[in-house]
Amino acid sequence: MAIRAGVARLSIGVMFAVVVYLLPVVLVHSPYVLFALTLTLCYAIPAMALNLLLGYTGLVSLGHMGFAGIGAYVTAVLMKNGIAPFAPAIIAGTIVAGLVGVLVGIPCLRLRSHFFIIVTLAVGLILYLLFNNLDWLTGGAAGLPGIPRPGPINLGFAIIDPRRPLGFYFLAATIFLLVFIVQYALIYSDFGRSLAAIRQDETLAGSRGVDVFGHKLTIFALSAAIAGLGGGLQVEFLRAAAPQSYGFLENINLVLIVIVGGAGSLFGPTLGALLFIALPEMLRVADTYRMVLFGAALLALALFAPRGLWGLAVSGVRKLRGHHSALTHAGHP
Amino acid sequence: MGVTLTAFIEQVANGTMMGAIYVLVALGLVLIFGVMEVLNFAHGVIFAAGGYVCEVFFVHVIGSYPIAVVLTMLTLAIFGVALERAVFRRLRVNMPMQIVASLGLILMAENAAVLIFGPSALQLTVPSVRSLVRIGDLSFTIQHFVVIAVCVVAIAALQIFLQYTRLGTALRATSQNAEAARVIGIDADRIYQLTFATGCALAALGGALIGPLFLIFPQMGDLPLLKGLTAIVLGGMGSIPGAIIGGFAIGIIEAVSTLFIPTDYRDMVVFALLIAILLVRPWGLFGVRVRGDV
Repeated sequence: MAIRAGVARLSIGVMFAVVVYLLPVVLVHSPYVLFALTLTLCYAIPAMALNLLLGYTGLVSLGHMGFAGIGAYVTAVLMKNGIAPFAPAIIAGTIVAGLVGVLVGIPCLRLRSHFFIIVTLAVGLILYLLFNNLDWLTGGAAGLPGIPRPGPINLGFAIIDPRRPLGFYFLAATIFLLVFIVQYALIYSDFGRSLAAIRQDETLAGSRGVDVFGHKLTIFALSAAIAGLGGGLQVEFLRAAAPQSYGFLENINLVLIVIVGGAGSLFGPTLGALLFIALPEMLRVADTYRMVLFGAALLALALFAPRGLWGLAVSGVRKLRGHHSALTHAGHP
Repeated sequence: MGVTLTAFIEQVANGTMMGAIYVLVALGLVLIFGVMEVLNFAHGVIFAAGGYVCEVFFVHVIGSYPIAVVLTMLTLAIFGVALERAVFRRLRVNMPMQIVASLGLILMAENAAVLIFGPSALQLTVPSVRSLVRIGDLSFTIQHFVVIAVCVVAIAALQIFLQYTRLGTALRATSQNAEAARVIGIDADRIYQLTFATGCALAALGGALIGPLFLIFPQMGDLPLLKGLTAIVLGGMGSIPGAIIGGFAIGIIEAVSTLFIPTDYRDMVVFALLIAILLVRPWGLFGVRVRGDV
């Protein structure tokens, strides 16, 4: 059974990867859709990072775009000033975001849940204010424009040029799938199971020998690092860093992506990113009327889909199946 | 640093005024959190709604500012009851979905305000803003003192209500132990509605009081909400005296800090202070230490 489930999971994963890589082939005639999809991938990475905390460990962080911002600005500053090429720059961004995650995590993770939520909110706001005001480093409110795209990558059998939209899509898709694999591997590891234990009952997990604080700190730092990676990728794609991308509303938006998509599910954050990044981008939701309707839709969702859209879909499928098996059961007594 | 005493006193006065506004927001947040364990992120919207509703009453319905303020509080209290019934009662145990619902409310309200009142900010000119009071070299509008005085009255009224009335006692009982309160015959659902009504009325009061001093615009509640949240965490999450002292402290500290560091970093001082204090006292200034706190 376990092997069959593993094979099933693996094949779903491979199918998912194939779909992600082949999407632009189908949509090759629409550069706009390609743009929206690439941006979605850039946001899905911090969303998966937050999902590790929010969905799997039960820690609500309202400041996670701040860590994405650290990754973004580190990558941007290194690339813009020609200090480092793409790969070392984005890795540096990832590491710095992770280190800041450790620094923030050590004091904050000792707090009880509601205190923790508000403190992460405060951390996010502090980071935003730093991005906005450290003019000599971050360009202040005007941001950092004109960041160079990564150069061509030679794979031997093909050359990917991220300076072209399709090339960047493949780069983003590769990083996205890597993070997806990391997310998957973490969740099904012993470490991930310990996180689940902490989410369900911290005291019980602690008394069963789980180092609660150590686990929380590790996952918080890891999550901050992955968010930083996503931020670095996003800033490379948009070729500009702006403090508003990491403000209060963006922080809430990331939490929404995860919760509405379905916290605690592998595909939830990606679904949420599609919904919150690609859809508004394509529908131009910025229109005031539509924003009112969008708000109403969120409210309805909160009331009627308490486990997010992915949860709704899963329970819907289960219901259908349950219905189906009940029928067959009745048919063959 | 040539900080004169006059400048210092001026900033303390400004800070006390802003602090009073933060206290009004924080009191609503702390009541709702204390009784229902709900963090109402839509509280900033209620605050802004206070400003708008007050403008409507004052300009279009009745020419008297005090009556307009009272009507605003009543309107938003009723709205609070509806909000509790329709939304937050169902989400009491689901913290993440409270955030989603709050953001839905924020988006609806902020964009609806643009649709109804237009994209530009409203100005609410009441008599108490135009008349100045001079104290030595300093001058303040009467509205400054109105804000502080009304806030003090509101705090006192709330305290009397909670301590000396049957309903207030029932509210405190529910916040201490909802189960036990139900056992002795307190209708918890009614208490939740009362809590939301009171909280919303206080936030609306804040918006109606600050409206004449600054402008009325859809996002006017964002910063008071963040400061209010900071205040209740600082005060210990559930402590009413903590929220009051936290609110005033934040107002005064951020105002005085502008004398020493650039104004751009004013908000950062407050948030950094919150983290610093929680490092020393993880349960807040007036909170109760629970088992498991470091």
